[in-house]
Amino acid sequence: MNQRRQLIVSLTALSLCPWGSASAMPSEAMQAMQAIVGTSIVNTGRVYFELPPLVESGNLVAVKFSVDSPMTPTNYVRAIHIISEANPSPNVVSCYFTPLSGKAEASTRIRLADSQRVWALAQMSDGSFWRTSVDTVITLSACTEMV
Amino acid sequence: MSRSSRAVVTMPKTAKKGEVFSIRVIVQHEMESGFRHTEQGVRVPRDLIRSFVCTYNGNEVFKADLHSGVASNPLFIFYAKADQSGTFEFKWQGDNNYFTVVNQAITVS
Amino acid sequence: MIKKQLAQLGVLSFFFAVALPAYADQRQSATALMTPSNQAMQNDMSLNPALFWIMDGEALWGDRSNPAGKACADCHQDVKQSMKSVAATFPKPVKGKLLNLEGQINQCRTSRQQSPAFAYESKNLLSLSTLVAYQSRGLPITASTDIAVEPDYRKGQSLYFQRMGQLNLSCAQCHDDRAGLKLASSTIPQGHPTAYPIYRIEWQGVGSLQRRLRSCVSAVRAEQYAYGSPELLALELYLMRRATGMQLESPGVRP
Repeated sequence: MNQRRQLIVSLTALSLCPWGSASAMPSEAMQAMQAIVGTSIVNTGRVYFELPPLVESGNLVAVKFSVDSPMTPTNYVRAIHIISEANPSPNVVSCYFTPLSGKAEASTRIRLADSQRVWALAQMSDGSFWRTSVDTVITLSACTEMV
Repeated sequence: MSRSSRAVVTMPKTAKKGEVFSIRVIVQHEMESGFRHTEQGVRVPRDLIRSFVCTYNGNEVFKADLHSGVASNPLFIFYAKADQSGTFEFKWQGDNNYFTVVNQAITVS
Repeated sequence: MIKKQLAQLGVLSFFFAVALPAYADQRQSATALMTPSNQAMQNDMSLNPALFWIMDGEALWGDRSNPAGKACADCHQDVKQSMKSVAATFPKPVKGKLLNLEGQINQCRTSRQQSPAFAYESKNLLSLSTLVAYQSRGLPITASTDIAVEPDYRKGQSLYFQRMGQLNLSCAQCHDDRAGLKLASSTIPQGHPTAYPIYRIEWQGVGSLQRRLRSCVSAVRAEQYAYGSPELLALELYLMRRATGMQLESPGVRP
């Protein structure tokens, strides 16, 4: 009886929490996001995140991310954080922009340890947060070699 | 005693006032994640570049915090806007006293 | 009667003019199998990490710190001029001995610079071989057809077709018979050494053709041939001859 009540309470709590929606993120990635966001609400959208859905080698994955923004001193993108759900360490890279960037866009190459969901979390100058995610499948080369 | 490595910056030599242009930087660094093991099972120690900062005439343009999830020989392609001629400075800092700095001038008309 | 023969001749000519040449060169570098992102990494040197090995090679090219006090530059001057197309001609016989590019570099190292040979996969050897191979980028492969190395060519050929290892597979079974088909999720390449030394994403660094061949051998669970062994050299010669005429893409990027 007590257990069932506990289950109902925790399910309700889950649906009220700002992460919401279908699958819960692995806890480490969630904690990493929480450390950045604090108690603010995270909106979904606005971030353009390019990551291939199928990757031949997780050692080097080209990614591009951007947010459409005028990049004026009163309205710009402060940062875009890339967070991984299945890497040994959830924080992958954080890129910080300024109005001198002209454009809130960056490309880099990251490592992905396994097939997973990867998040791009953007922090705006007005204090708001926006995020998007891409699911990707990582394969290994067919012939494993001896080092 | 600081360690340094090669860094290659690709950016225009000239730009128009207010024009947004792209800059690409690549630096030679293994980015040893600290999660790898040798065949004998010994962990290979972490050795990463931790930060990259691009400034223009002393003002920050773009900055990145790097973690173990950034691939070897880190590459960044980002954008900048220049209002006057000057010098871009690109600085990488990391574990074990790693420090590399490259400067590139640009003429703005 | 003559009209019929002429007609037959016409059909045959058509066949040889159109169909046969189309059959003739179906060789393809593994570059064609890569994602556009990896292809861009290979083709645009500002994105290709092998650039650093080229720069290290350039530094070594002018380095005189050896007992003879001689740098590569002292004999070969500008690498861009003297080494143009050189990498595309190896392996070839040099003073009666079959050498690959690494072997030639080491021959200079030991005889002209009076220093110990560089080890395979050492930073120095990779830097120099990447620098030299880069000077042949875009040029056709012209590996030696000298009669003196015919026995090595035959040896390489027989090794290529020989089953080996616990998996009991030959190179030919994957790279001739099944090229283009999938092994796990990877498309099997034809195995042409058009891009060596390569920046292999799996290695997170640059490596030689011999390193790649050794990893293929271990993949079929056979005992790896030693670096610089006659077997690997013979295989290199066979593979480069098999790729004759194809464009060198060094230094390439591979997954």
